Amino acid sequence: MLASIYALIACGYVLVYRVSRVLNLAHGELMMLGAYMLMLTATQFSGYWPVAIAAAAGLSLLTGVLVYLFLMRKMTGEMVLAAVLTTVALGILLRGVMVLVWSAQQQYPAQALHVTNSSIVLPGGARISFFSMLLVLTTALIYGALLAFLRFGRWGIRMRAAGQSPLLAAQRGINLHAVYALAWGLSTLTGALAGILIALDSGLDQTMATIGLKAFPAALVGGLDSLAGALVGSLVVAAAEVLLIHYVDPLLSEVVPFLVLIAMLVVRPWGLFGTREELDRV
Amino acid sequence: MRRRALGAALVAFALALPVPAAAQDVYTIGLTGALTGPPASTYAPAVDALRIYVDRVNAAGGVNGKKINLILQDDSAQPGKAAANAKKLIAQDNVLLMLNASLSSTYAPVTAEARQANVPLLFASSVCPPTVYPPADPLQFCTTAFAASYDSRATLAFIKETAKEPVKLGFSAMAIPISRGEIDFAEEQSKGMGMTPVAKEIIPPPTPDYTPFATKIKDAEANWGYSWAPWVTQVRTLESLRRLDWKGNFVAWAHLEAEGELARLKDGQFYVVGANALFQDNLPIHAEIREAAKKAGSQYPAEQMAEGWIAGMVIEAALKATGWPATPQKVADAMSNLKVDTRGLRGGPIEWTKDNHFRTRQYYRVYRWDTGKGAIAREKDWYAFDVK
Repeated sequence: MLASIYALIACGYVLVYRVSRVLNLAHGELMMLGAYMLMLTATQFSGYWPVAIAAAAGLSLLTGVLVYLFLMRKMTGEMVLAAVLTTVALGILLRGVMVLVWSAQQQYPAQALHVTNSSIVLPGGARISFFSMLLVLTTALIYGALLAFLRFGRWGIRMRAAGQSPLLAAQRGINLHAVYALAWGLSTLTGALAGILIALDSGLDQTMATIGLKAFPAALVGGLDSLAGALVGSLVVAAAEVLLIHYVDPLLSEVVPFLVLIAMLVVRPWGLFGTREELDRV
Repeated sequence: MRRRALGAALVAFALALPVPAAAQDVYTIGLTGALTGPPASTYAPAVDALRIYVDRVNAAGGVNGKKINLILQDDSAQPGKAAANAKKLIAQDNVLLMLNASLSSTYAPVTAEARQANVPLLFASSVCPPTVYPPADPLQFCTTAFAASYDSRATLAFIKETAKEPVKLGFSAMAIPISRGEIDFAEEQSKGMGMTPVAKEIIPPPTPDYTPFATKIKDAEANWGYSWAPWVTQVRTLESLRRLDWKGNFVAWAHLEAEGELARLKDGQFYVVGANALFQDNLPIHAEIREAAKKAGSQYPAEQMAEGWIAGMVIEAALKATGWPATPQKVADAMSNLKVDTRGLRGGPIEWTKDNHFRTRQYYRVYRWDTGKGAIAREKDWYAFDVK
């Protein structure tokens, strides 16, 4: 479950970095915004939770595209650091706006949608909540779809090309702005799906943005430009976290992702599946 | 001649300018609080209630004929921001009284600033620190319902009275000093009361999945759970336990969110111990708060406003007793000899003496969801502990 949460969030970091070399430090806030959008759509589609989720996900995709078009596009050609700092500023802005619009109160989208988060018994007697199960399945589906899209899809190939060499890609007639906008849209969509499903499972409050940040080490451990790496990195970080909670000290769960990250940076700075050359560019 | 006329005109204009509300015209009080950030849901509704209360007092003519100027500063529960806010409130705004409505991690810098400037500090909706208990720090006061050590005594007394079988306790706390300290205290207390502590989970604040912690409590075969932490930790521990099919009883502190959450969870074995009367009691003052919140268009439900309202009542009474002109020292003196009738919001009055800036008796009530009636029920009426 924890690995699925980290993996679904981490793939958003990877998508944007792989295509545009920008570390999106507002990813946690965009994920939280997606969850709040569910509160919006829940009022419109109360009783039809799949429709409400789909609508919130659609709005999140659009938000990601708009963030690129109206903000990050202006950063094209600027130093990478400037773009990263812009995402930090965006995160602060989004946090403030979300408090103003939705208040600091704990929200429960599942209640607004009149859906019960029942407990499911798995083989072996283990139990998982309905939305946790949905989150695991969604993560598997998203990774499968993204890997296929990047491997075989026309726009996926364009995204890979833009990530490898923007100059050559542009010379071949690829519309870089469209590719970047798509990457931001997909990244925000995946983050928002994580936020939406976490909110449906256990509620929504201001801590969600921090959860988004906790998944960042998973992306780095796996390699920032590798989707498969994000998946493996999430498994490594989550397994380390759960094992330490269970056998050593629960307090370590807060620092463990970062300890794993430091260990990885010492041994293999470009991550498990990352490209060495990409790290040199950073 | 023309120059002289121009000068006279400028002087006349300057004299005619409206004078900004100077410190001596109003009672200026300042608050640093977690209005945004992760724990904001515990503090922001209380601060909003306080703002509404002060606006009402001002609309009715103020205190001793003077308005109250309440300055709100957001610290996002960050000690650095809280320190900067405290500095600004004291040095720039010349506040007579400073308020803290934030996490305990902000206490050190804020108390340091207040102490240095000899400005009284009121903890309003943030947990009461030991410095307000007898013998109290002369400049620190607290109106907040929850209080370290007393709350766990009240909770454990309730568990001992209610349990029909030997109690095996599973604890959960948030990884912040005040919550951990209280759960450590409760663990020790429970041993002396014939209960067996079987698990203690200290959970970091931004935890996406509570299942690993809940699994440990369940695997330890706890039949009672107790959590004294910000609401999010309490309720998510319980919900994770229930998803694991844990059938035990769970007791948590009745934070501002408790009333709405009892109704949401509809769990007959979930008890909340608190010092504020829930709005389901429908007291006249509850109707008053509901109406004021509605009129002010607050984002927060009235059910979460008792804490801020009580702080407002106490501040109004303290300023009234201070008289005019006011100084921080006069406010502190007035607060050191104060008794405020909470009109049923608490089990008794808030009474401060020279040595006790908490209250002389701390009252508790226990509520739970009555599955038979489909409503919140009072499980145990007011019971009190003397504060010595």
